[in-house]
Amino acid sequence: MAVTASTSVLAGLACCLALTVPFGVPAQDAPERVTSDTPEFCLHLLDQVSSIVRDATAPPSAEVTNLSAEGQKMCAHGQTKGGIMRLRRALVLLRSQDAGR
Amino acid sequence: MLPTGGGHGLPSAPDGVGSGDGRGRGEPPPVPETPGSAGPATPDPAGSPLAGSQSADSPLGAEQAGIDPEFPPAAGRHQDPDQAHRLPMFRSAGFRFAAIYAVLLAVSAGSIGYYVWWATAGLLDRQVEAAIGTDWQGLAERWAERDVPGLVQTIDDRLMQNVDDDAIYLLVGPGLHPLAGNLERWPITVQASGPLYELDVSRAGIRSLAMVRSYDLPGGYHLLIGRDVQVRAQLRRLLTDAMLWALVILVALATVGALVVRSLFRRAIANVSATATAIAAGDLGQRVEISGRGDEFDQLAEVINDMLDRIGRLMDGVRQVSNAIAHDLRTPITRARTRLEDAALHAETTDDLRAAIERATQDLDGIVAVFQALLRIAEIEAGSRRAAFTRIDVAPLLADLAELYGAVAEEKGIALETDLPGALPTFGDSTLIQQAVANLLDNAVKFSPAAGTVRLGAALGPTGVAIRVADQGPGIPAGDLDRATQRFFRGEAARHTPGSGLGLTLVQAVAHLHGGSLRLEANPGGGLMAVLSLPLPEDGEQSNRDVTRSPLA
Repeated sequence: MAVTASTSVLAGLACCLALTVPFGVPAQDAPERVTSDTPEFCLHLLDQVSSIVRDATAPPSAEVTNLSAEGQKMCAHGQTKGGIMRLRRALVLLRSQDAGR
Repeated sequence: MLPTGGGHGLPSAPDGVGSGDGRGRGEPPPVPETPGSAGPATPDPAGSPLAGSQSADSPLGAEQAGIDPEFPPAAGRHQDPDQAHRLPMFRSAGFRFAAIYAVLLAVSAGSIGYYVWWATAGLLDRQVEAAIGTDWQGLAERWAERDVPGLVQTIDDRLMQNVDDDAIYLLVGPGLHPLAGNLERWPITVQASGPLYELDVSRAGIRSLAMVRSYDLPGGYHLLIGRDVQVRAQLRRLLTDAMLWALVILVALATVGALVVRSLFRRAIANVSATATAIAAGDLGQRVEISGRGDEFDQLAEVINDMLDRIGRLMDGVRQVSNAIAHDLRTPITRARTRLEDAALHAETTDDLRAAIERATQDLDGIVAVFQALLRIAEIEAGSRRAAFTRIDVAPLLADLAELYGAVAEEKGIALETDLPGALPTFGDSTLIQQAVANLLDNAVKFSPAAGTVRLGAALGPTGVAIRVADQGPGIPAGDLDRATQRFFRGEAARHTPGSGLGLTLVQAVAHLHGGSLRLEANPGGGLMAVLSLPLPEDGEQSNRDVTRSPLA
């Protein structure tokens, strides 16, 4: 009796879990490299920030200045991920300021 | 308008069968002893089947000992209460209940688990799909506006502003040459546009998981859009672990719960099963134990006990009627036989023989009348006459009976006084009611002394019609009142009065058939007063509908 009860419970939950299994094709063995976490991308972002600041009619806000400076420093010290994140935020702020004007 | 039914108590059929009301029940009239009559006429040495000579060996004795002679407690019939517990597992109701409990618990828990999964991990998956779809719409518009350069610029902008750092793009030209995006090359596993692919990616040397979808563009271009779902995958893994542990706990709970349910079920029915087994073995005195909780099992036990009580009463009634029939019919049969035998031995003329045969025929007619009365009572008690019920007025019916029995009473020097209202509406069978009242009047006239008074009265009350017949006869002792309506019951005072002891039985059967009652009590002026109560038309109709609809009717 217990075996049957347990089997029915397992079967029921297995069905439920099967319905919710991720629906993608199985992953491959060799991972594809993402290039937006590299120091090159960090420099690319820094160039973009500098370009926008340079072309802007008004000086950037202190927050943008701080973020870009921190990003540049972190990228230079090998903390690429953190640096990229700050430079991205600086870029988003600059774009939003541009859109505001 | 004369009642029918073998002349129960009617002057037109003074056979004495239906009019005995029990107040004269006693020994049958003495059987004349003649040479040669002692053998077959008195088969019971004790003189009566009720003389207490039965032993447990006889069928009757076995019944009185509480053992059904038709079903002796043979070894093959006796079932051990534990035997029910040894049923094959899949035939056991306890197992089925336990399995149903486990399945219901599993389905309930599975439903809740599925909802939790759908509302968490499923939601994350849907969010990823929605984000990719939104991305694709924007990029497709840019492709339509500015072709490849515009798309490259947009992808670059989106990557640079991807604060969440989870976006994955790759635009390739013919030959899968990368033009824009943050993937080094086109993944080999992504072969077709449309399906969502899981993709292992490496972000700054750390392996991660992404969901990507490919879109075909004109000119042999292909666009890959995806999201890094590593955090979501970790969350899903945590959820999966939790669900698996919940599954283990659920299995344990379902198992324990199923065992408990089976145990409770077995315990609940063990009581009923033990009682049924004991009764099947012949112990008719066993009753199902009532726990006192007042739950469904207590209600079932009460119903079963009531049923057993009723069966016991019915068996007692059948036994008593059988005994009474044998006892009461022996006398007229013996008398008839004696007459015929005496005539055969001593008759000297044809007229003597004819007279003896006529007297024997009268005795046999009395026996036939007794059986007719029994059948009549059985028919009434079966309720088959209920279908013929209608709204009737009892008043004219009583007036007719008063006129009829007035003449009979007058011949005996008895006064019949009436107190009848103008209308007495009720719901029933006028013939049966007439027959019942005729039986009461016949008894009253029969047992009233000369110069006595019989009173027939009726009244319409809030609960129905009450018909009273009072006499100044010997009455019925208080101790015999409850038994006076039993078949063949005759009191001591009616020993020498013609009758069979079925008259009041028939009256009571008629009363019960109509949803009414028969009450016997001492007449304040001496004698007996019988009160036949019948319901009002509305109550009678409702009662009739209820009884007709009842499957137990």
